[in-house]
Amino acid sequence: MKRSWPLLIGVFLCAVASAQWPTQAQETLTPALQKIAAAKKAIESAPDRPQSYNQLAIAFERRAAETGDVSFYDHAEEALRKSFSISAANLEGQKIRASVLLGERRYQEAVEQATAVNKLWPDDVLVYGYIADAQMALGNYAAAEEAAQWMLNLRPGNIPGMRRAADLREAFGDADGAAEMLSAELVQTAPTEVADRAYVMTRLGRLQLAAGHLNEAEKLLQQAHDLFPNLPYTLEVVAELRRAQGRLADAAQVLNQLYLMNPSAEQAYKLAVALEREGQKNYTQSTYREFERKAWQAIDRSANANVELVFYYVDHAGKPQEALQIAKTEFSRRPNVYARDAYAWALAANGRLAEARKQVEAALEVGTRDPGLFYHAGVIATQSRDPKSGAAYFNASLDVNALSEFAPAARQALEKLASAPTIASAGK
Amino acid sequence: MKHLRGTMALLLVFAIALPQVALPANHREAPITALDHKADITDVFAFVSYGSNQVPGTRPSKVTMILNVDPLLEPANGPTLFPFDPEILYEINIDNDHDALPDITFQIRFVTEYQLPSIYTSVVGFGDNGANAPGTSNLVVPPQIRDFDNPGLNLRQHYTVTMIKHAVPGTYANGNIGGGDVVTQLKNSDGSPFFAVPANAGPRTLDYPALLQQATYQDLNVPGVSVFAGTVDDPFWIDLGATFDTANYRTLASGVPGVLTDAEDAGPYVNGQNYASDTVSGYAVNSIAIEVPIEMLTSTGKIEQATSPAATIGVWGATLRPAVTIRRSPLPALFGGGWRQVQRMGNPLINELLIGIGSKDRFSMDQPVNDKQFASFFLDPPIAHAVEAIYGDLAPGALKVPPAPRTDLLPLVTYAAPIAASGTPAGPVADLLRLNTGVPATPFQRASRLGLIGGDAAGYPNGRRLFDDVTDITLRVGVGGVLIPAFNKFPNNRLGDGVNVNDAQYRTAFPYLADCPDGRNRRHVDPGEPGGGPVS
Repeated sequence: MKRSWPLLIGVFLCAVASAQWPTQAQETLTPALQKIAAAKKAIESAPDRPQSYNQLAIAFERRAAETGDVSFYDHAEEALRKSFSISAANLEGQKIRASVLLGERRYQEAVEQATAVNKLWPDDVLVYGYIADAQMALGNYAAAEEAAQWMLNLRPGNIPGMRRAADLREAFGDADGAAEMLSAELVQTAPTEVADRAYVMTRLGRLQLAAGHLNEAEKLLQQAHDLFPNLPYTLEVVAELRRAQGRLADAAQVLNQLYLMNPSAEQAYKLAVALEREGQKNYTQSTYREFERKAWQAIDRSANANVELVFYYVDHAGKPQEALQIAKTEFSRRPNVYARDAYAWALAANGRLAEARKQVEAALEVGTRDPGLFYHAGVIATQSRDPKSGAAYFNASLDVNALSEFAPAARQALEKLASAPTIASAGK
Repeated sequence: MKHLRGTMALLLVFAIALPQVALPANHREAPITALDHKADITDVFAFVSYGSNQVPGTRPSKVTMILNVDPLLEPANGPTLFPFDPEILYEINIDNDHDALPDITFQIRFVTEYQLPSIYTSVVGFGDNGANAPGTSNLVVPPQIRDFDNPGLNLRQHYTVTMIKHAVPGTYANGNIGGGDVVTQLKNSDGSPFFAVPANAGPRTLDYPALLQQATYQDLNVPGVSVFAGTVDDPFWIDLGATFDTANYRTLASGVPGVLTDAEDAGPYVNGQNYASDTVSGYAVNSIAIEVPIEMLTSTGKIEQATSPAATIGVWGATLRPAVTIRRSPLPALFGGGWRQVQRMGNPLINELLIGIGSKDRFSMDQPVNDKQFASFFLDPPIAHAVEAIYGDLAPGALKVPPAPRTDLLPLVTYAAPIAASGTPAGPVADLLRLNTGVPATPFQRASRLGLIGGDAAGYPNGRRLFDDVTDITLRVGVGGVLIPAFNKFPNNRLGDGVNVNDAQYRTAFPYLADCPDGRNRRHVDPGEPGGGPVS
């Protein structure tokens, strides 16, 4: 049987990927595993208490976050079913249900569930967080901001509120403000919550990376890795750091490790892109095929890789019509910045430049300072015979992050514009 | 970009996996104010001003509004005593067009200064000349504090009062002054600052009445306006311990706990006495009082007759603290602005006794105009069922409360009769203290502590005076349903905690508040003590 590159070398890489930094053996259970054990023990001693099943559901959610393994959400759902079978109306269970829906990326259902709980329990800060998360994912940024602001107002300095504030500040292009919130969150997070602390350090590291401060990013990511080895989110940012450092093989190795931990379509796509960048042509194609197969399996699911599929069809597979169809559907479901960008990109690939420009500019209006978004806006503006705007967008992409994966293409586009004054003047 | 988008899913799973984590009339009524005492509003009062020689039927001319904060201050509790918090924006809001939105706002802010930073206490004073170091002329202890220039008033606070007339109704929230608003800084005519009266540490240290008199500012740049701020006797009274021991009121002469006899209930306020202990006795509170000509408050700019829809205003107090906002400058904040509301209060005991514990903070921090979300609490108060259930156990069949929906309570949360005149728009459901400014003040000697239900048209819930017994009124109106004729019967109309009067004498002129108990000699009247009623 022919096996794909990732799986063939996966076992080996699993050992070496963490050689980016030595991984200390985890002698104790992770916080999530401890919580799972405690909840199961509580269920054994009092099987008729919904609270114990609720705690088990929460513990499974945390395990999903620790491992990237989404199957833990199924376990969480099962625990909630038992909780509701004991007490159908228990509000704590209803609340956890909203967070499980979020984990499963069923955002509209999550909004509805969280809003219903919020009406009955408006002082619960975390429920506003669920509303904010879901609204943000759905592209309803004003609603997300309102919910997150309630969190900050109701309980100043609360950790979930600061995290949502950081999310939104980043979405609105305020990276310094996001870092401010994350730093405050880190100070307040208990030393025993190692996964949470690692997560926050990783986010701070990613902000440093996005600002082009590779050494600072390296230090923060190293600390995160030391604190909680192989946290999926940390590995993902490490891969991005390695790419920015030009260590393309290391980047691919880390992404392969991630793919082995969570063999989803999204991870397959990231791995394929990294392999292509590294020059692994054979493995690249097989991994893209694996990605495409998995992406189609999930195309109608809430947890899908449709945006990745759009970019794959436009940038790698030469299937712009398929890309547009998928992009349109995904955008209608979740018109957030990223879905809108993919939609704009697919429209442009199909020659529908006016619509593409409208969409990409609408995405930019949110304020997100993303080098890819600016790059796409630059290409679309240039193709729309507006080289002046195109150049401005390319420069913005480089300003945001001169080491982003889009930076080489943005520089190339600028050089091309500079060497074609007639085109440039045509846009004036 | 693709990297970032993919990362969002991981961001999200971590975000959601985070650990799940009062009385005078409103003390500690919600979780957040139980933690933030400085911003905790205890009471809001608004009434047509009266004088010591008030003649019945005198045409109203001014309204006094009082915002009390920081509950149960023990005046012996030095050394720093109880300054207002300079980081809090204190507000008194007025709705004069019945939309539950502020049309006029008074913003009050305090500044703290230390005159003797090396002294160990916030106030220090001794005799006419102070006290020197033995054998020297070096002043160690300043003279007794009789004015605000005395350095013995070590921690000294002055404050500003800003009156804002809002240009666009509905645009004001969270302390932010908008374009077009008419802003007036209230000032003493001579330009001197407004000082706040400190707590009364005791007779050696300060002459409290003298300070209170000096701090009652009545010669301002806006004629007819008076202001006062300081630590005063807490004007509220209640058997707090019994109330929050699940309505475990004392058994008085009626033989039924929490039910008064006619004799215990009778008479104007001035003839009243206590049959149970006033838990708040001997405690102080921080108070801000503003007296304003009525024509400055009504939408017409005139003093309206009681029969005019324009006569009735809605008043509420609020405390706000600086907010951390999602969007930082220069990004425009879409929600919240620079301040976050910690608490607001209109009617007494609403949040305290009606709102569910899971909604109390949201209630505190939301705007009155959004109170529809709490309508179920207003129109079917859980406390009514709780008290009915308890009495059903103690004295089966003795107490029946009206069924929901309790539309009889609408006058508390909408502009309605008997407070507002016929033709007044009801407006949205909102917790405002509604005051018909056209109703003449009742002379103090004749005023009933039971307000409207005691036949005194100038009393709560038509505004609220210091001496309105809102505990008994709330028990009778909110629980007993006495605004419904069929329920205006014994024992519903005799429900009460047995505490009928304040322990200190109110003034009969602005600021109406009583002197802060002195820290050396204050007395808290406990059950079983003289004047404290029975223990059982």
